[in-house]
Amino acid sequence: MNRSTAFQFRSGSSFFHRLDPLTKLAWLVAISLLAFGAYIAWVQILIALAVLFTALALGRISPLVIFRGTWLFGIACVSFWVIQTLTLPGTHVAFTVLGHPIYAESADYALASALRIYTIILSSLVFVRTTDPRELAIALVTQMRVPYRVAYAFFIALRIVPTIEAEIKTIRAAQAVRGVVRKRGLASRIGEMKRYAMPLLVGSLRKASMMVMSMESRAFGAYPQRTFVESPRMTVASYAVMAVMLALVVTWYGALAFGYVHSIYVFSGA
Amino acid sequence: MELAVDNTAGMASLRSLDVNDVQEITIAPSSVRAAVAAEGSVVDIRGISYAYEGEADPVLREVSLEVGDGEFVLILGPSGCGKSTLLQVLNGTIPHTLRGRLEGDAFVCGKSVVETRVASFATEVGMVFQDPEAQIINTLVRDEVRFGLENLCRPADEIVARQTEALAFVGLDGFGDRSIFDLSGGQKQRVSVAAVLAARPRLLVLDEPTANLDPNGMAEIFGVLRRLNRESGTTIVMVEHRVDELADCVTRVVMMDRGSIVFDGDPRSAFSQRRAAHSEEGDAVPSSAWFPQAAEFALALADASGTPAPSDDLPLNVDEAVRFAEDHFAGGPRAALPERAAIPASEKPLLTVRNLSFGYERKQPILTDINFTLGEGEIVALCGRNGSGKTTLARLLVHINAPPPGTLMLGERDITGLSARDISAEIGYVFQNPDHQFVTDRVWDEIAYGLVVRGYADHAIEERVGEVLDIVDLKRYRDKSPFSLSLGERRRLSVATMLVLEPRLLVLDEPTIGQDHERAQLLMGLMARLRERYGTTILMITHDVRLVAEWADRALVVSGGRLLFDGLPQAMFANTDLIEEAGLLAPPVFEISCALAADRPDRVQPTLSLPHLVDMITGTEGRSA
Repeated sequence: MNRSTAFQFRSGSSFFHRLDPLTKLAWLVAISLLAFGAYIAWVQILIALAVLFTALALGRISPLVIFRGTWLFGIACVSFWVIQTLTLPGTHVAFTVLGHPIYAESADYALASALRIYTIILSSLVFVRTTDPRELAIALVTQMRVPYRVAYAFFIALRIVPTIEAEIKTIRAAQAVRGVVRKRGLASRIGEMKRYAMPLLVGSLRKASMMVMSMESRAFGAYPQRTFVESPRMTVASYAVMAVMLALVVTWYGALAFGYVHSIYVFSGA
Repeated sequence: MELAVDNTAGMASLRSLDVNDVQEITIAPSSVRAAVAAEGSVVDIRGISYAYEGEADPVLREVSLEVGDGEFVLILGPSGCGKSTLLQVLNGTIPHTLRGRLEGDAFVCGKSVVETRVASFATEVGMVFQDPEAQIINTLVRDEVRFGLENLCRPADEIVARQTEALAFVGLDGFGDRSIFDLSGGQKQRVSVAAVLAARPRLLVLDEPTANLDPNGMAEIFGVLRRLNRESGTTIVMVEHRVDELADCVTRVVMMDRGSIVFDGDPRSAFSQRRAAHSEEGDAVPSSAWFPQAAEFALALADASGTPAPSDDLPLNVDEAVRFAEDHFAGGPRAALPERAAIPASEKPLLTVRNLSFGYERKQPILTDINFTLGEGEIVALCGRNGSGKTTLARLLVHINAPPPGTLMLGERDITGLSARDISAEIGYVFQNPDHQFVTDRVWDEIAYGLVVRGYADHAIEERVGEVLDIVDLKRYRDKSPFSLSLGERRRLSVATMLVLEPRLLVLDEPTIGQDHERAQLLMGLMARLRERYGTTILMITHDVRLVAEWADRALVVSGGRLLFDGLPQAMFANTDLIEEAGLLAPPVFEISCALAADRPDRVQPTLSLPHLVDMITGTEGRSA
């Protein structure tokens, strides 16, 4: 009944939904490497556009969901960009705002740093939204040789987050009708945490012990190995994605290392 | 560790065994162990006592129970009597997962519980618990059903075949690819049953599997269990409070009290005699609190007509009760009684709901055009399936969800214009889980909280808290932590925290979930006292049809976000289309009276009151009034 968060797996049939979790994980790592390696705005703009294209076309994530999931970070990035642009030193004046000189280098660098954060948030959204945590856990076991108990612990931790979120909402509502008023400020937030802790702890312990009983009674942990009826497999598409991402990362870092990257500023101006 | 090994009998007698030392025991060959358990019995427990780790008082005392192949055993008893604990012994959760002190011998499917790991029972014992949310591990139906067999390293094609078979058995054919989150409560519990059936266990153990379900979901589960027992011969041991629908499908009833078995026999003799049992708090409660209403009716009728209580032919369902009643008619035709008039809407309604529509997303309304009023001092039941919008509606009343302006009037005032604190002084809301509402560390502080935040004077607080502690009978716990109380006491405390503000309206969200009938009666008795004392209006969200029949002046039915019915409970139960739509079942007393009224309209009219029905049959109506 509650409004669901954007950062949550939703089943679907898009290209990214069909991709195996490890390839998507590799894609996420590659995007992060590219984003961290690029300090020039036009490269960051290209990466951001590529990720946006992936989200819309390859992951079939609606613009509304993208907005809901990232607007807060978007605002943070814009303010980050503005502050950095105004404060970083530079030599080439691109233009002036109210008599204040804006340097091409600082505006460019600021834009690159701001976009970097947004790109990483957006690509994480794509990954989380299109990857079933259970499939990821299985992939870790079958493809990465992670022990299945560890993988399941990871999966259950992810699986239980929405339950705990819902429980916190219920507790908040339940205490609000007692006349508890939510206040701003750190001290009252700490007081609030203390009030939530006990009911949440009691409830979570009960749920956790129930889960343990439910799993053990169905032979979880009986053997060192277990069967996975369906486990994600690498397909041709997976190898293609992997190859493209690897090529991009190697090319970009290679270009950086050998000094082929020349700075062309987005805000060139005078 | 005291471990006596009787080698001559070839068995390890594990009396006085500290389970922490269990790994030191040399496990006897399985052939030897199998010889120990009684032949043909699925469960063979002899004189077990158990205390949780760190507790001195045992929860189980000298319990012996033998269950044969194909039996369907219902375990009954007041909260805290040890029935759930007993179930946990049946697959070794006690003593392997929950440690503690276990004495005595316990064999399940021929294996010693103490010597066998929980996982090794997976193919023999299936466990289903109360809360579907807590026991379901996976997100897709098929993964959940495959889970056990995957852990057992069975080949993939066998697993898929068993998954299909198990889902088909519980009536969820083709649900494999569905997300668990999109299922109803009844469907989720059927998935939990399928998930253990896939391993084809000999014994199915269920701990209140329908406590969180609406009557419709409950009927789905009981239907599956009945077929499983009759057609597949699976042995079932089950703890459940909802006896009306179960009494005639179980083969045996075990009653527990304070950790011991006090009755063990067939259902007819179980329900033919009232016995005394004890609540968690040590108060005496009549065992009839968990009798099926058909049996209760027969006992009351026998009492009233001075005939001996039936035992061999004690009715367990509506049809049998109707036949039983046929032989007990006495006296002449009764004078026509005036129909019970609908309660006139009070001149000044306490709460008016007008054209209320609500939804989190504009395109998905949860409530559509709801209109009703609540008068002073009414007890009103709000009924409907899980997910019909009942809780959303109730939460709008206390502003947990914000209602659109002009749709909710408290007296003359628009609720949307009031602050949360103003509303909470007039409308109390008791949540399903009392723990969620506790905000302090002490019972006294808990009750005083509402007064303190509203700036009451110390002496006024002292006086009112004392008074409320008396009403809810918690005075002796005034300095204890709320979390140290029993569930029944915590429930009373959460009501008390609302009472202290003397609200004009008290909303109860599923107040009797997971509680036996006796506890529900106690809580409703408290509500009736409140109404008498303060004129409080009570709005209760509930699936408990016996509660509605006994206590509600009026019933509201919500289905698909619309108000389908607003009227007398009896009129609601009489409308078969409506109760089907709302996923309700009529209480047995109503069905019995309807069946009798159809044959003898001059003698009986449909009623929700058991004493009234008895009076009509014995011809004492009016005399006893």
